[in-house]
Amino acid sequence: MNQFSTLLKYEWLNFKADKGLLILTSLALLAGLYGIYYGTSEIERQQENIAQLEIIAQENIEEMKDKYPGDADAGDLGYYHYTFAINEPDSWAGLSLGQRDLNPYYLKLRLLNLQSQIYDTDNINPLKILSGNFDLAFVFVYLFPLLIIGLCFNILSIEKEQGTLPLLLSQPIGLPIIVGAKLVFRIIIVFTLALFLSIVAMWWAQVVPDIRIVIWIAAICMNCLFWFGVTFLVAALQKNSAFNSVVLLGIWLGLTIIIPSLLNIYVAVKQPVPQALDLTIKQREEVHGGWDKPKKETMERFFIHHPEWQHTAPIEGRFDWRWYYAFQHLGDVAVEDLAIDYQESLRKRHKLANQLDFLSIPVNVQTTLNAIAASDLPSHLNFIRSATQHHDAIRAFYYPFLFNQIPFTHAEYQDEPEHSFMSTPDFTTANKGLVKLFISTLLVFIAGFLIFKLKGASVK
Amino acid sequence: MVRDIAKKEFLSTLRDSRFIALSILVLLLLLAATLVGLYSYQKQQEEREVAQQTVNDQFANSTERHPHRMAHYGSYAFRPRSPLSFLDFGLDSYTGSSVYMEAHRQNSANFSQAQQSSSLIRFGEMTVAFVLQMLIPLLIIFLCFGAFTQEKETGTLKLLLSQGISMRKLAWAKIKGYSKIVALVVAPALILVSVILFAQGNFEVNGDILLRFFLFILTYLFYFFIFIVISVVVSALNERSSTSLVTLLGTWILCCIIIPKASANLGSNLYTTPTKAEMDAEVHQEVAKGIDGHNSKDERAETLKQELFKQYGVNSLEELPVNFDGIVMAAGEKHSSKVYEEHFDELTETFENQNRISEYAGFFNPYLAVRNLSMGISGSDFNHYIHFLKEAEEYRYNQSQKLNYIQATQLGYGDKETRLSSDTWKEFQAFSYETPPARWALQNHLVSIAALFVWLIAVIVIGNKLIDKTKVA
Repeated sequence: MNQFSTLLKYEWLNFKADKGLLILTSLALLAGLYGIYYGTSEIERQQENIAQLEIIAQENIEEMKDKYPGDADAGDLGYYHYTFAINEPDSWAGLSLGQRDLNPYYLKLRLLNLQSQIYDTDNINPLKILSGNFDLAFVFVYLFPLLIIGLCFNILSIEKEQGTLPLLLSQPIGLPIIVGAKLVFRIIIVFTLALFLSIVAMWWAQVVPDIRIVIWIAAICMNCLFWFGVTFLVAALQKNSAFNSVVLLGIWLGLTIIIPSLLNIYVAVKQPVPQALDLTIKQREEVHGGWDKPKKETMERFFIHHPEWQHTAPIEGRFDWRWYYAFQHLGDVAVEDLAIDYQESLRKRHKLANQLDFLSIPVNVQTTLNAIAASDLPSHLNFIRSATQHHDAIRAFYYPFLFNQIPFTHAEYQDEPEHSFMSTPDFTTANKGLVKLFISTLLVFIAGFLIFKLKGASVK
Repeated sequence: MVRDIAKKEFLSTLRDSRFIALSILVLLLLLAATLVGLYSYQKQQEEREVAQQTVNDQFANSTERHPHRMAHYGSYAFRPRSPLSFLDFGLDSYTGSSVYMEAHRQNSANFSQAQQSSSLIRFGEMTVAFVLQMLIPLLIIFLCFGAFTQEKETGTLKLLLSQGISMRKLAWAKIKGYSKIVALVVAPALILVSVILFAQGNFEVNGDILLRFFLFILTYLFYFFIFIVISVVVSALNERSSTSLVTLLGTWILCCIIIPKASANLGSNLYTTPTKAEMDAEVHQEVAKGIDGHNSKDERAETLKQELFKQYGVNSLEELPVNFDGIVMAAGEKHSSKVYEEHFDELTETFENQNRISEYAGFFNPYLAVRNLSMGISGSDFNHYIHFLKEAEEYRYNQSQKLNYIQATQLGYGDKETRLSSDTWKEFQAFSYETPPARWALQNHLVSIAALFVWLIAVIVIGNKLIDKTKVA
């Protein structure tokens, strides 16, 4: 143990003297701080925008009150008045933005048919989305492995190349101890950095302090350990520094970019999602076809779904809002299967990707972080589901005014259903991710030890 | 002598089994990316063509409808992919594929591939452009990092120089040799791509596609050349192979991973994107000040009415020879579309400002210059996307106005009952979209083209200077 601490001490002296390593570590620190700033500021902006939506909704109500100063027909309001369904960011979302930049975090809803409204997107700059987010998750998933590779690629080879290895080995210590001590030293540095950044991020983002702190730290530390394991494995091959750096960067590239992109293709082919365009076309045919069908037939079909309005006043004349909203709703009913199918296919796609992510630790870690930050695809689908329920609530709110033909007074606005949603973190996915991460880390270390054992120490 | 050295580099690389293995891997990825890109391109293209045909037929064969109802029934624009975009998906996976075009409303482009994917897609897509932009430079680094350092380490550099060859000549000889190797790796894939391109066009030569493909190849050849020169120069400047390699790999990480993301993020931090809800509310506000297509009681409508009365010398709407409903709707559409267009242009400008940072960063990072240019040439960049959206909006506007015109001329005032037969709808030209020509695409990327040329000249001039200055101990 004494030798071990001596080794650690000299590593520290070496590290302090090595400008390159210091620069690398400082860069990682700066990148991490920028990632925290960027991620949290992005979420702050989303929150500001959400606050802005409330003002817009309020302005709409004022406009409606102006437009219909007395009692209003609920039918007119259903057409001109809108509310927002909102997907509030989790307090953790700033640490791992996931798909929150890509999928809209609010939907503008009217009483009209839902399916023509829930797939609307927000203003997004596609080039920015393509480039992705420089959040803390990116720093841990992409950059920390590179930092670790930079710190460790020549962990053993440099001793050979500088001719210090024979000297070291002339002491009564084994090669694994030397590598182990150097590795432990670097692990301490990287862990300190990772913990520091994580704590700063959690403090900065004011996260809800729950079990996720443990999961986050476990995932981050194990991710680092995995990459230390990879460098250990490559060091065990006892090749020169140039070879190590190429192989390590190759592994990084393979796991971080090539395998995910191949998996993406596989998942897209294996789990196609063809429903979207069909859905949008069919929905229009159904809704607009509503104008041309006999009113009686339409109402009868509507009453199957809403028998409670069956015995209200009969529809007469050229136009009646009740009939209008009935065929709007029937449009949704007609494509309900397709819509469910679409959502289900997306969930299946996500699930399939999760099942395969043991092939790429970076994907696995990203999935885990997105799952606890509730910023992944299922979180968005949960929001869509909740928005659908909100639309049901809007219908339930307006239908009595329409079918009982009650005037809509100014006082009614405040009873309108409001929507706010926050997806819950997906602990199942996160825990599975941790298990996969643990197994992978264990495997690389075991493989590294085995290779060391088999190869034995060679000084050259 | 130069030729001998180039030949020696070429042959000795071919004998290096590790390099051969890597090259084969890259080549396989390149071929796979070509085929996969083509497959998903064709699939999406077919899906969108079928959808477009369906809605076109639906419109033409629509039942008898009142013209304004037809305007609300509307049309869809499904964005066809540009012919060369199977090589570089660019933004295609992140942009919506369908726009619903109806009266008075400008809808968002919905259903992008990325929205239908899990977080996997955010790790990048396996396309030809990806391999060419990111993997070939790595291959080049691996190929060239030891160009001089190895000769220094084995002591052969002094021997070579004692033969009377200058460092500069030696460097160019090596660059020549390495260029040949890179060409050897890339050529098979490019040949495959050309065959596919010709087969797709049924072996008829489409000048514009050909030009785009030529520019595509040219861009990447410049790019590879820049990387080869940089790698050889770095190798000349370093004493040890390992430091040369680490320097180059560090540069690659900075150029291909960190800077692109950081510059895009910086852009969006500097220029705030308004939400669609905010923008729509503003448009609505501004339109309300003007005319509301559904509400002829407005002031503007009143003025319009008086003008028409004067023009036709009548005193009531019923007496007008034209249908005031259609006229007022057309005026409303004109006004609201103009307001929307202003806001849309403003939004586009915000995005362009955001993107400009990545564009100018091309002067510091050849990867970005090539990425932007490659997307532009392949027809999958921001400008092509906006071009499509503008065409769709123009179509929407014209269709609505044509229907308003029909209402104004064929229907009487207050007539909400008359329905026109599908013969009327058949006269409408269906939406069709053509990718703009290569020249247009290039115009949008003058900055990136300039950046690429600056790089080209800089690596030659600065490279020569640096190599001349290196002292061989």
